[in-house]
Amino acid sequence: MEKEQLAVGDSTRLEIILDTKRFRSRVEKRPRISTNEGPPDKTVRIIATVMPRPDSTYPVIITPYKLDLSQFGEKVRDRVEFDITNVSDEPLSVELMSLKDEYFSVDLPDEIAPGETASAELILTDYGTKISFEKSFTFQLSDNAGSRFTVPVKRTMRTPGVQAGPAKGYGQGGN
Amino acid sequence: MRRLISTLLPMLIVVFFAGSLMAAPRLSIPEETFNFGFVPQHSKIAHEFWLHSVGDDTLRILRVKPG
Repeated sequence: MEKEQLAVGDSTRLEIILDTKRFRSRVEKRPRISTNEGPPDKTVRIIATVMPRPDSTYPVIITPYKLDLSQFGEKVRDRVEFDITNVSDEPLSVELMSLKDEYFSVDLPDEIAPGETASAELILTDYGTKISFEKSFTFQLSDNAGSRFTVPVKRTMRTPGVQAGPAKGYGQGGN
Repeated sequence: MRRLISTLLPMLIVVFFAGSLMAAPRLSIPEETFNFGFVPQHSKIAHEFWLHSVGDDTLRILRVKPG
């Protein structure tokens, strides 16, 4: 959380992170927020449907279903393409619902015809290229169910270090 | 005039202190629910909720307990 004390009229953002490792199928969590307003605590609610087989979803399949922009060298990895395949028999429009815009932007197709695959792209912001993070973005489709998909985005940075010298105790040679 | 002041002054004092005592923080969360939809297993996902201070005193967020 950016701020723990809010003046009258002020605002802040509360980030809720869900680790899906332990879950299968539907998950619902209600984190509680205690304030000096007193009881009862306020709650926010998050809902997710965890897919053990994310490569066979409906009505779209996202490839790859997780985006990794990790960087281990000097060459900056600031974008990644991914595909969205419409496996239903109706055209689907795509609307972005949530993303961490300090870290990246996402260019999604407006509509995907039935059976077609559309390309999409995630581009890191200048700030996003400088740090390691694990975030996600969520989009919604125009099918009757209003299906939503959340794509995890991970970036690990290892700054190129000086080449390691010989380990302590190993001979330096030369004598 | 004196009678008017002696009547109005206590009323004004009561109104002033009542206002101070009534000042209270209030939290407003416009979007209380977020649906991630389908998510892959073994991953970390995140969403930000906006919290607004809409009372008439400073709002302090004491803690957030995982659900």
